[in-house]
Amino acid sequence: MTQHVHAPPARSGSAPEGAGAGVPPAARKRRAGAWRKRAEIAFFVAPALALVATFIAFPVAQAVRYSFYRWNGLGPLENWVGLENYVRALGHEVFTDAVVNNLTIVVLSVVVQLPLGLGIALLLNRQMRGQSLLRVVIFIPYVLAEVVAGVVWFLLLQPRGMLNALLEAAGLGEWVQLWLADPDIALWTVLGVLTWKYLGLAVILMLAGLQGVPPELYEAAQIDGATWWQVQRKITIPLLGPTIRTWAFLSMIGSLQLFDMVWILTGGGPANATVTMAVYLIDQGTNRSLYGYASAVAVLLFVISLTLAALYQVFILRRDVAEAPARRRRRRAVR
Amino acid sequence: MTGVPVAPVRDPVADAPEQRRRRRSSAYSGGNPLVYAVALVVVAITVGPVLYAILGGFRTNAQLAANPVGMPDPWVVTNYIDVLTSAQFWQLTWNSTVIAVLTTAIVCVAGVMAAYPLARYTFPGREVLFLVFTLGLLFPLTVAIIPLFLMIRDMGLTNSVWGVALPQAAFALPMTVVILRPFLRALPTELEEAALIDGASRIGFFWRILLPLSGPGLVTVGVLAFVASWNAYLLPLLILTAPADQTLPLGVANFSTEYAQDTAGVLAFTSLAMIPALVFFLAMEKRIVSGLQGAVKG
Amino acid sequence: MSRRRGAVAITTAGVAALVLAACNGGEADADGDGGATGQDAAAGEEVTITWWHNSNNDPGRSYYEQVAEDFMADNPGVTIDITAIAHDDMLTRLDAAFQTGDHPDIFMERGGGETAAHADAGLLRDLTDDAADTISVIEAYTGGYTVEERVYALPFSSGVVGFWYNQDLFDQAGITEVPTTMTEFDDTVAALKSAGIEPVSVGAGEGWPAAHYYYYYALRACPEDAVVAAVEQHDFSDNCWVAAGEHLEELIATEPFNAGFLATPAQTGPTSASGLLASEQVAMELAGHWEPGVMQGLSEDNTIPFNLGWFGFPAIDGGAGDQDAVLGGGDAWAVNADAPDAAVDFAEYLLSDEVQTGFAENDMGLPTNPAASGSVTDEALAELLDTRDEAPLVQLYFDTAFGENIGGAMNEAVVAIFAGSGTPQGVVDAMVDAAAQE
Repeated sequence: MTQHVHAPPARSGSAPEGAGAGVPPAARKRRAGAWRKRAEIAFFVAPALALVATFIAFPVAQAVRYSFYRWNGLGPLENWVGLENYVRALGHEVFTDAVVNNLTIVVLSVVVQLPLGLGIALLLNRQMRGQSLLRVVIFIPYVLAEVVAGVVWFLLLQPRGMLNALLEAAGLGEWVQLWLADPDIALWTVLGVLTWKYLGLAVILMLAGLQGVPPELYEAAQIDGATWWQVQRKITIPLLGPTIRTWAFLSMIGSLQLFDMVWILTGGGPANATVTMAVYLIDQGTNRSLYGYASAVAVLLFVISLTLAALYQVFILRRDVAEAPARRRRRRAVR
Repeated sequence: MTGVPVAPVRDPVADAPEQRRRRRSSAYSGGNPLVYAVALVVVAITVGPVLYAILGGFRTNAQLAANPVGMPDPWVVTNYIDVLTSAQFWQLTWNSTVIAVLTTAIVCVAGVMAAYPLARYTFPGREVLFLVFTLGLLFPLTVAIIPLFLMIRDMGLTNSVWGVALPQAAFALPMTVVILRPFLRALPTELEEAALIDGASRIGFFWRILLPLSGPGLVTVGVLAFVASWNAYLLPLLILTAPADQTLPLGVANFSTEYAQDTAGVLAFTSLAMIPALVFFLAMEKRIVSGLQGAVKG
Repeated sequence: MSRRRGAVAITTAGVAALVLAACNGGEADADGDGGATGQDAAAGEEVTITWWHNSNNDPGRSYYEQVAEDFMADNPGVTIDITAIAHDDMLTRLDAAFQTGDHPDIFMERGGGETAAHADAGLLRDLTDDAADTISVIEAYTGGYTVEERVYALPFSSGVVGFWYNQDLFDQAGITEVPTTMTEFDDTVAALKSAGIEPVSVGAGEGWPAAHYYYYYALRACPEDAVVAAVEQHDFSDNCWVAAGEHLEELIATEPFNAGFLATPAQTGPTSASGLLASEQVAMELAGHWEPGVMQGLSEDNTIPFNLGWFGFPAIDGGAGDQDAVLGGGDAWAVNADAPDAAVDFAEYLLSDEVQTGFAENDMGLPTNPAASGSVTDEALAELLDTRDEAPLVQLYFDTAFGENIGGAMNEAVVAIFAGSGTPQGVVDAMVDAAAQE
């Protein structure tokens, strides 16, 4: 976001009108050009902006408005209650549980998927038989619908389902669990399924990042006699920093908005053990017809997401921007 | 927003991924048995549930009840045939296809148009405009779902493909713009300068040169939008209330509760519902992966 | 949260008369006037009536198609547009449609707080005068659909909740008599356990099946005026609402329920509460009149492979409520406030002797029109009908009676007791808290 500060001086090419500015054109022509440019920009941006304004900004603004009312969805919006819905939500145990569950999923998704994804990506980033097949296979869960994958996992995780039968067959009878029915376990089960579902994304993104590591570095390291592991640790992983930070950001946003998988697997149960903010708000909205209250929860969900995203930008992604000029110099030298 | 630093030196046209991979693979080649063992475990866990569903569809409910982990014995195809000969399954597939294609088309057209000035013009407010799009990333559909539903009804788009495709396209746009902007920015400036010197207008440059060159980026965002639409659940659930207008995920969810006692049938239905997404992805895999590189680095 | 899932098979969970005295059979005025009125009203004009129902499986689906055909034949110019959808979907779609005001002309209402809210919002046609004749036939059941003396829907099915049990498994455990008190119930559970049989299944994953236990304890523990105060004023100050939770805690402490009951669905699939009973993996389940139909649907060959029995919820010691009162509910046909008059005629036709008899013959539910009582062919259902008619009081499911907001909060808090994380006071607190939001 802060690239605005750094970009113009460093980027020689991508601003074509900069090149044109050197030539002194007639003032009138420049003004006409300026209008033309504005019209072009408007033409290009208008469709996207219209869609975002109509289908995102407006409904979100409406949700904010509803959140100040007590409204069961029937009849006009007239019972203004100020901040009462927000006070209620923040004091409601199920909502605070949902926030804690979301945060748990945010943190553990990164903590679990990062080393796994990185490890698998490093493994796959070498010549081996079946490598391209592996890359495809590991991405399969990610392309499946959460609903479809959820239905299959739901069946697998039944008390008499395949997972428990497998454990029995493997002589691990004491590991048999009520995966979705035990309030102490259900959240971990959901996390496991989410890891299965989204690990492929981490792997693919990191593989993509690895493609960007200049091969010269490997060659140089190999000549210096570095082992494969040394190369990964000293060269590859540090250079993957931006990729990892971007992926973690995407993962965080996804975890905060988690709905489909939980809805299909547990519906937020048992006894609200796996409830997330999105599940809670849909439940309150559609099952209880508390539209004003559900809208307040929606706004809180947004505020929490925004806060975390901003903190992430400030404390983590900023490093990428700060490092940028230095790296750019380095790259240019290589060229 | 994120990959900014790397973008300027990227040159997707010159740095063909194939080339790079070949070069590197000469540096460190081969895998040891441990690598293969780990890979095998990963594959088993990854495809296990999918295989379970597919194989389960070839079993009877009695077989499933007697032994949840066994192989089909004998193999039964009636579950699959029942699904494949039901009009409902094809109707669901057709609906999903229409909505996904529409969503993808809208996202690609609107997305690349918006990304172009954001990437290659300098104008006051550019970063603010970009921020507007990136902020869109933070709004889950759930935040807006209730007002959105009411609005779509007012527009008379309930049970219409547009009622799903337009909002879906809108919610896919932020990611699209975030991915495409650095991608477009990384295209060499010389192209643009040459085109402008040749007398092409900015719009002409966009159509004739930029658009063809942004193919890989468009494939990426197109595929992401397509998969997101194909897999979407919440919005279709509220907008597509008539069974004849519903999509595959809705169909799978409904089928799995309505016919829950017929586990084998549910597995067959679910397996068949997976196939279009899997086939689509397998066909696009190479281009998706190379496109995704641009996305993350960009 | 699959909490809305009602009974998918025969009729539905959730619903019926608020506090209805079930014993007055209402023999008088048993002539339904059926389509007769419709002929007069609709003659000549072209109208289309949209009708949503949840009998999306045969025989119910075909039966209703036939009913619509018959009505259309008798009423030229009237077209009936039927949408038969699964119960869950129907609820979702109705909720959505109520918000937008484009709900169908004829649809199902479940009574209680929900119907009152719909009536307040002007969504329902006042049928008090327009369908007066029909209402007089079924007035024993219209209480749950009455708001300030006006009737807003015509109940067509009303059932009761009790324990369905596997007679064979009871025999196997040496149980010769069904329990009539909680002490005897505990003995029954103990006997089943020592015979190695899982005693009771409960679909706590969906909330309401677990909450039915709480409702019954409340019904047994609460004096009638406390129930009335709760339903009408949302006043839960009587200590019986806490006592009900304490009784429930005692029951849960005996661990009678199936493994994984917290995530067990009510009726979907072989591992649901109904599926476990149907496949003889548990000995009994607390469920409504829909249970035999659900279990048939869950079996491969549409039969129940054992002797199915029924007993009422046992009495508790020192309860201030009526120990023979039953918990029940059903469904009613409501008419859109903006519907053409022909829709009222059709709703009345649905309650006619003729249609209700067919309804009973097809085992689609427990008919409210007394003329159809004798036509229930299923033995278990016929037995239930007797129980319903003999009960001193049929209390509408409390979640329905209180409305979805208080009801939902209550069910959630009851499930928390089942999970060991909630308390009896917590249920009352949740209800009071939710009521403050009304």
